[in-house]
Amino acid sequence: MSVPEQTYETATSRLEEIIRRLDSGEAELRETLALCKEGRGLVEFCAAELDAVGQGLEELRLDELVARLEAGAGRPGDAP
Amino acid sequence: MTEQAARPDGIEGSTLPGPFPVGAYAKKLQEELRKRARLQLVGEAWNVKRSKARVYFELRDGDGALPCAMWNDAWERGRIPEGAFVDGAQVVVAGGPDYYPGSRTSSPGFSFDVSALRIAGEGDLLAQVDRLRRKLDAEGLLEPQRRLPRAALPRTIGVVTGESGKARDDVLAGLARRGWEGRLVWAFAPVQDRHAAGAITRALQDLAAVAPDGAAGTQMGTGGGVEVIVVARGGGSLADLLAFCDETLCRTVALLPVPVIASVGHHTDRTLIDDVAAVACSTPTHAAEAAVPLHCAEARVAVGRSAQRLADHGRRAVLARARHLAQLSRAPAQAVAKQRARLHQLMREMRASARRRGLAETERELRAAAAGLERRAAVARGANVAARRAKLDALGSALTAHDPERIVARGYAVVDDGAGGVLTTAAQARAAGSVRLFFADADVRARIEDP
Repeated sequence: MSVPEQTYETATSRLEEIIRRLDSGEAELRETLALCKEGRGLVEFCAAELDAVGQGLEELRLDELVARLEAGAGRPGDAP
Repeated sequence: MTEQAARPDGIEGSTLPGPFPVGAYAKKLQEELRKRARLQLVGEAWNVKRSKARVYFELRDGDGALPCAMWNDAWERGRIPEGAFVDGAQVVVAGGPDYYPGSRTSSPGFSFDVSALRIAGEGDLLAQVDRLRRKLDAEGLLEPQRRLPRAALPRTIGVVTGESGKARDDVLAGLARRGWEGRLVWAFAPVQDRHAAGAITRALQDLAAVAPDGAAGTQMGTGGGVEVIVVARGGGSLADLLAFCDETLCRTVALLPVPVIASVGHHTDRTLIDDVAAVACSTPTHAAEAAVPLHCAEARVAVGRSAQRLADHGRRAVLARARHLAQLSRAPAQAVAKQRARLHQLMREMRASARRRGLAETERELRAAAAGLERRAAVARGANVAARRAKLDALGSALTAHDPERIVARGYAVVDDGAGGVLTTAAQARAAGSVRLFFADADVRARIEDP
């Protein structure tokens, strides 16, 4: 099993958890600062995810993709 | 042991002839039944069983049923396709009634003797679909798609649909409603007839193949692949929609590692792909919305709100502590003021005492001592209490305007005695001996070398 990668869902649910903890007022200074830092990272991740689907629709055709892939497979050493 | 000797009298009072031996009667019954007209019957085959010599089944419909038997050689002449003759199959049989008279050691039985059998072609489409559904269900294939995790915010969506259908516009409308503007991979396939099934199956496999982190996805330049697939088609007759009941297609969907959202036909049509897909929707628009569970514009607002709340929390946390520090800083100044008042009182008392004794020298010494005490008091309360307080107040207001962590990052550090008690003076630090310094990244322990 690979390390579970961050998704929008995991990021937002962790963010909610952090805000709940901060709202509780139980976190001392160092934890508060650490949570704020982690939360800022999550906010940036979520914003980037939203940006990725907010830059205008990109439409591709499967038949063209497949043709391109098959052409690419024909040229050895062309792998990225 | 003759039959004559064994035959008893009849039932007293009965006018019916006999008694006759049963075996003779059974044989007569067989002859009579075999004289009946041979004909063709139609119905569903159930309880199919095979023996070495014959195939047994029951032919049923809503009004009745008949036990049937077919010799194996007749069965083989029929060339029935493998797997077609299963429980529930619609069949036409030719033959006539027969009776097996049995014997002393074997049971008798009535059956319809089938000399020829044909699977009833297209037959009842709904029944066919139902049978396939039960079969897939029995194999557990209605579940795997529903267990697949679905991304709240897929970056790439695959759509299998007809190139010229209305479904295409409906999918776009659904995505627009979600405010989603990611990457769309169109897999156009015929969605009309039975030949469509193969094309749709290939499209699904190709879409899933450009998905995972493999070379295909990378060459696509996406970094990730298709995260969810929408299969959309408008309404039509069941015969038209039969492509979406194709066994191979449905098995492909069931085992596809990418979730499939199906919207085939109108909501009254129930095609098999609806049962094996992760989600079945009534319209292509709904299917598109189901593919992107998140409303992007609302999500942006929510993320902005979270960012604001984090900033507020950070600021409040540092502000509260800055106020506390400012309060603590006032405490030593108040102590010094008290000491100074006491000092002046002592001086007055000493002066009075000196006057009483008339010793000017003593007074001078005392003055010197008092001056020394004043100096030490000044040292004790710090170089400049007022200036320090002003600085703390400035710090407090600076903190309200800045991100908390950057303040610490700029070079400030919070000092405590290692157990949570904040230290604010050199004297406290000296008394504590060892302290903890909180920097932006972590804390360090330090020892006070000043005696």
